[in-house]
Amino acid sequence: MFNMSLPAQAMSVPQQAGRHTCQPRAVTLRRPLRIRAAAAVDEKPAAAKPAPSQPKAAASAPKLTCQVVDGKFTDYRWENGRWTLSNFENKAGNMDWDAVIDAEMARRKILEDNPIASTNEDPVLFDTAEIPWWAWVRRFHLPEAEKANGRAAMVGYAMAFVVDSLSGAGLVDQQNSFLGKLLLHVVVFAILIFRTTDSIPALKGLLDEATFYDKQWKATWEGQERPVEGEKPSSS
Amino acid sequence: MAFVGTLPGAVSDCAYRTDQPRLANFGRVQRTQQHSTLCSLRAFTGQQLQHRQTGQGLTSRRSQHLVVYAIKDGASLEGRKLKVAVVGGGPGGACTADTLARGGIETYLIERKMDNCKPCGGAIPLCMVDEFELPADIIDRKVTKMKMISPSNREVDVGKTLSQTEYIGMCRREVLDNYLRKRAQENGAKVLNGLFMGMEQKEGEEGAYTLNFNNYEAGGKVGKPETLEVDLVVGADGANSRVAREIDAGEYDYAIAFQERIRIPDDKMDYYKDLAEMYVGDDVSPDFYGWVFPKYDHVAVGTGTVVNKAGIKQYQLATRARSKGKTEGGKIIRVEAHPIPEHPRPRRCKNRVALVGDAAGYVTKCSGEGIYFAAKSGRMCAEAIVEGSAQGSRMPGESDLRQYLSKWDKKYWATYKVLDILQKVFYRSNPAREAFVEMCESEYVQRMTFDSYLYKTVVPGNPLDDLKLLTQTVGSLLRGNALRAGAKSVSFGQRVEEASSQVKGVKAAVKA
Repeated sequence: MFNMSLPAQAMSVPQQAGRHTCQPRAVTLRRPLRIRAAAAVDEKPAAAKPAPSQPKAAASAPKLTCQVVDGKFTDYRWENGRWTLSNFENKAGNMDWDAVIDAEMARRKILEDNPIASTNEDPVLFDTAEIPWWAWVRRFHLPEAEKANGRAAMVGYAMAFVVDSLSGAGLVDQQNSFLGKLLLHVVVFAILIFRTTDSIPALKGLLDEATFYDKQWKATWEGQERPVEGEKPSSS
Repeated sequence: MAFVGTLPGAVSDCAYRTDQPRLANFGRVQRTQQHSTLCSLRAFTGQQLQHRQTGQGLTSRRSQHLVVYAIKDGASLEGRKLKVAVVGGGPGGACTADTLARGGIETYLIERKMDNCKPCGGAIPLCMVDEFELPADIIDRKVTKMKMISPSNREVDVGKTLSQTEYIGMCRREVLDNYLRKRAQENGAKVLNGLFMGMEQKEGEEGAYTLNFNNYEAGGKVGKPETLEVDLVVGADGANSRVAREIDAGEYDYAIAFQERIRIPDDKMDYYKDLAEMYVGDDVSPDFYGWVFPKYDHVAVGTGTVVNKAGIKQYQLATRARSKGKTEGGKIIRVEAHPIPEHPRPRRCKNRVALVGDAAGYVTKCSGEGIYFAAKSGRMCAEAIVEGSAQGSRMPGESDLRQYLSKWDKKYWATYKVLDILQKVFYRSNPAREAFVEMCESEYVQRMTFDSYLYKTVVPGNPLDDLKLLTQTVGSLLRGNALRAGAKSVSFGQRVEEASSQVKGVKAAVKA
């Protein structure tokens, strides 16, 4: 399922152990594990040959990770304006999409901190939509969902307890009544909407933003009667 | 009168006069970037402004025309024609004057600077060419490709959906304005080379307006103070409108746009022959975009912002840096800065005075387009006056002018609102900008954007496609935000206070 019909030669590519550790702040040169000949990088990633370690400032393309060199984004996995996906496969030949997401996160971070000139010679072609939806869900949604579910269960339990102790209606009775169902929905949606304490000012800001421009436009008509289309007002 | 005057908000209580040295700064080709930047910014911040009381020094007043007495709204003018003064001779003013003159109204168009080349993108939509019957030679360049560049340098070519006959026209404002003014003149409007100084109603609410202006008809640097009596005034005098100040129209938030015109080598110019570029990113602007527009024989590189005006120079440097490979090695021939209104003024008409164009605040968010809307609002205002006055035979009142406002709001409110939403959603942070660029790759988006831009009509799309677009957009936004959690974001929710600190910041940037 994870195999994206990639070229077979990708198997021989140097591997990253586990999740890729290209942190956004890790702009420093990573210690090169294997060095490829500069020419080989352009032609075939698979042609990478094991070579002895070299000093960091080696002229023969060291294995750079997420750096801006001479106004160009440089990474050994970034070729012709895109991530070479074969570089992200693990030993079994499965794509490590988390590593791609990590790499792209690092790229965006470094480009935000050091904007580089856009050139026609090497356009950026990588599209985040290439990463399948389930990789995004697994990476970003599931941990969040876990948290929200746990919270909803806790708050729901506490509220059910309070309602039970006050009214004597048990869990089943509560579930069966309309009011109980309504309360359940209120709890679930409230937990979805107010996730953190930051949410409240943020939501208020959103409300302001949504209505601000309308207010500016409507200022003209405050205390004024808006003429009806086609009516002749001053036909006296 | 479309020159840069004062910062709205920063100065409001006295009347200002744009003095000669400042005009010279704006009109002349500058020698060095440093120097010209200084001049423009100084002009923008109003440093060299001369304070003057309205009417002061107008000793040699000469009434040019017959005295007009107080007349009630809707009353007959008894044989004479309605007299209207249009202040400002940009597209808004010229189109107002043109329509008024054609409608049989005695029209005066007051403009100080007949060859004003306003700092402006100069892009006009296709429908304007037909609607305002513009000749082909007004259009210097036909832009058919638009390149959008995201913060991480992802590029998307917008414009693939354009047909052979569709394009965005790039014009020089001095040429366009001149043509529109000449046409108004041919149709009977009287064009006066003068600087509007102020106006008053000597005979109460229903009396005539007495306009004070300095007449520069004779040439020379010092204008001759004169007065003009009219029944109705249309203010089309741009962002720093004096007519708006006269009627206490209130202020608006404004963006500052900064632009450098650069003459680049021919081989580089060839790349921009039918292509415009749009850069987005925190580096080029926190809430707008940076641009490279092809002009007549050079390119205009610029950027704009509302939330951090003091940082405009830094944003401009960033825009230059991002387009470095393509615009390097050019010669800067002009540096310009100009305020752009963000929303309409609280009051757009009062008694027998109406505002149109930038003076009223009709500039779209997101794209920052204003030429078409200025011309169109001028025409609609004039149509309302012609109708309300029955071809100039009776006195129109505020209710007639409000007809124009009502029609305008009804016709264009949705357009402005959509662009406002787009700006708020997509210009707020780098992840959103990435999503914006990603989304523009869709042909459906391109077709819809260009159709609404070129023809100014929103044709509802296929609901299924709309739904698909919505999912795509949400997907792009989620992906973008996931990749840059905690990215900087601007808020568009509050009024941007015209804090003097911002003005000080701009001044400090000038001195630096």
